[in-house]
Amino acid sequence: MSTNKEYLRIEREKEWRTELRKKIANKDRTAMTRTRMPELDPFIRIRYQDREVNSGLTANQAQLEAARCLDCPTPTCIEGCPVSINIPKFVKYIEQGSFLEAAKTLKETSALPAVCGRVCPQEKQCEATCFYTQKMKKDPVAIGYLERFAADYERESGLMSVPEVAPSNGIKVAAIGSGPASLAFSGDMIKLGYDVTVFEALHEIGGVLKYGIPEFRLPNKIVDVELENLQKMGVKFVRNFIVGKTASFEDLKAEGFEAFFVASGAGLPRFMNIPGENYNGILSSNEYLTRVNLMNANKDEFDTPIIKGKNVAVIGGGNTAMDSVRTAKRLGAERAIIIYRRSRAEMPARIEEVHHAEEEGIEFLNLANPIEYFADEKGKVNRIRVQRMGLGEPDASGRRRPIVLEGTEYDIPVDLVVVAVGVSPNPLIPSEVKDLKVSKWGTIEVNEETMQSSIPELFAGGDIVRGGATVILAMGDGRKAAANMDEYLQKNR
Amino acid sequence: MANISTRFFGLDLKSPVIAASSSMTGHAEQVIKLAEAGAGAIVLKSIFEEEIYHELQEELSLRSEMYSDPEYLDYFDYVIKDENIRKYLRLIADVKARTAVPIVASINCVSSSDWVLFARKIEEAGADALELNMFICPSDVSKTGENNEQFYFETIHKVLQVVKIPVTIKISHYFSNLAGMVQKLSQSGVAGITIFNRFYNPDIDIQTQSVVVADVLSTPNDFLMPLKWTGILSGISVCELAATTGIHSAETALKFILAGASAVQVASVLYTNGPSVIKKMNLEISDWMDQKGFQALADFKGSLSQSTTSAQAWERVQFMKYFGEKAF
Repeated sequence: MSTNKEYLRIEREKEWRTELRKKIANKDRTAMTRTRMPELDPFIRIRYQDREVNSGLTANQAQLEAARCLDCPTPTCIEGCPVSINIPKFVKYIEQGSFLEAAKTLKETSALPAVCGRVCPQEKQCEATCFYTQKMKKDPVAIGYLERFAADYERESGLMSVPEVAPSNGIKVAAIGSGPASLAFSGDMIKLGYDVTVFEALHEIGGVLKYGIPEFRLPNKIVDVELENLQKMGVKFVRNFIVGKTASFEDLKAEGFEAFFVASGAGLPRFMNIPGENYNGILSSNEYLTRVNLMNANKDEFDTPIIKGKNVAVIGGGNTAMDSVRTAKRLGAERAIIIYRRSRAEMPARIEEVHHAEEEGIEFLNLANPIEYFADEKGKVNRIRVQRMGLGEPDASGRRRPIVLEGTEYDIPVDLVVVAVGVSPNPLIPSEVKDLKVSKWGTIEVNEETMQSSIPELFAGGDIVRGGATVILAMGDGRKAAANMDEYLQKNR
Repeated sequence: MANISTRFFGLDLKSPVIAASSSMTGHAEQVIKLAEAGAGAIVLKSIFEEEIYHELQEELSLRSEMYSDPEYLDYFDYVIKDENIRKYLRLIADVKARTAVPIVASINCVSSSDWVLFARKIEEAGADALELNMFICPSDVSKTGENNEQFYFETIHKVLQVVKIPVTIKISHYFSNLAGMVQKLSQSGVAGITIFNRFYNPDIDIQTQSVVVADVLSTPNDFLMPLKWTGILSGISVCELAATTGIHSAETALKFILAGASAVQVASVLYTNGPSVIKKMNLEISDWMDQKGFQALADFKGSLSQSTTSAQAWERVQFMKYFGEKAF
């Protein structure tokens, strides 16, 4: 979708927007305070893995919040959005009460607005570049809350339409993986008339949206609605199918697939390789969250094993660490601790997630880093040795660098440790496809403009290209790959 | 031919000429050439904590352009470290399989914590010894001399706890009481001390008025400072000493042995003359010993050190009389 200045100007000058701006003076708009997101009580919610913490804005709250937006002539908020959603347009539709139009505007550039409205780090993206934040030093317009509101409204209205699909062109294409990049790709390709099959290694479709993000942050039903829509449009989903093992690319080509979009994600957990990390009771966040989110280990009627620690330490400061530690709390941990080597200000986790974690009684042990684990006679972890850290000069990411404070080690008793220090790209496809150009860190190298890899019929996006990507950026990759794969296939047939 | 074998790194070495850690010792083929040239031991190129940091900065810059998730990069230094260590362990295993010359791994330490872990892996990969290249530039005003000195002892203590192979250290001369410090370090359990490591030195270009990198290679005149301290320290240290910096010939190497060093580490001369210079140095050391009637290095090692000669010859600090008498 075009987001050039001229397009934005034309949209902004439309009569309904001009009229809406006149309705409330800017000084009155800026005098309004940001709407608080209604939340489930922390004491109640920590008992449920599947009850969403944020309950969403009401229509009235959404319209009030939307009215704070000044509909700036130069909307800097769009610059902060990785897929350049026309933010003022959808926000103004909400202010006007045209909620379905707002949802439609979001869908012009975002395939999964209900998901992004819940999990995108808006405070570091669009809200960070909002006029309120940058010029007025006030709380930004709650763009994320409004995005979620519009998407939820459309879904709950029963008026969620299945997008039109072009007549079939009979060309078979495959998407590998079923996370956000793949879903966005599939949606666009099916609309263009392609025969799209999504191959998923696990038994559930949704990728990281299902196995990675707990239901208290992103309910499965939100993802399922999008999946059902894609199915209604004609996208085929094949579960329990590992491309590169169950069948090779050559096998799929022999079956008539003419092009591939690889979005196999970053499913390889990383560890710190410190002594004792192989003891029982120390596991990756991938494993821990998958057992709960995908395999229902938290429910008595399922026999998926899980360690329900009383003293749980989660290593890391990202959203995955927050998801893990909050899950541990919901599974009955008496003490659930985040151990992170930088200070609170440098944590990559969303501010909202940190805030929710605090409300739920999570302890934060900042400026501390594990250096060794100890175990009982049965090899089960029982102690973690941490070292205090200081902060040095900012590094290239702009965050202050952690510095070891020598001689400051001390031990903490634990019975479960979840290591959430990041993930690496899934190595299967990069290693299986000969001549595929791969970086030294295992990511697939692509032309950034087209998402095309060194193998012309193979496109890639999301975590397998970026190492780690936000949901919205992964979707952006999927959409870009779809447009360029279409062009490639049309030219080369 | 005289016996030029010696002992350093807690190991028996066939020659006192050791290939010092440098980029020349970072590749298997080059290491084998140095071994074939007769090096007593080869110290592999150090794993530099600082280099890993710079590699991380490059990756952070690249990935931020791609809008990678900050969570992905938050612990990326561990990924880079792992990759570097993996390559290093492969190098150790590779060269160990191809030569009987002792292979010494080298770690450049800025902090003591992480490297302790790698010391264990280095031992498992088959290194014969480990050199801790302790690179502290005392420029941080917030740290006391005691803080800096403590770092050495803590690191040594931690490493010795986890490995069985001999551990040596390579140090700078930046201590307020160098002799006292070296004596204490020599009693810490290390198998040897190498004096002194060479720091990166900045220079100034007066035309562009900018700070530039000074020449990185030593010159044959640079040996005098380490020679002085070898002479003073060899009688004080309870462990073996080796010397480095400015050792470009057999003649200079012999001076160090006479001053009490058990071995010398060479690097710059390998760049200027190639690995074969080691063979030449070995021969010339042997020839000199034959000429002087020495059977073994032990026959003359330390014979001109401070402990066997006069303190004044090694500790005199002023030139007043010399310059006072010199006609200009």
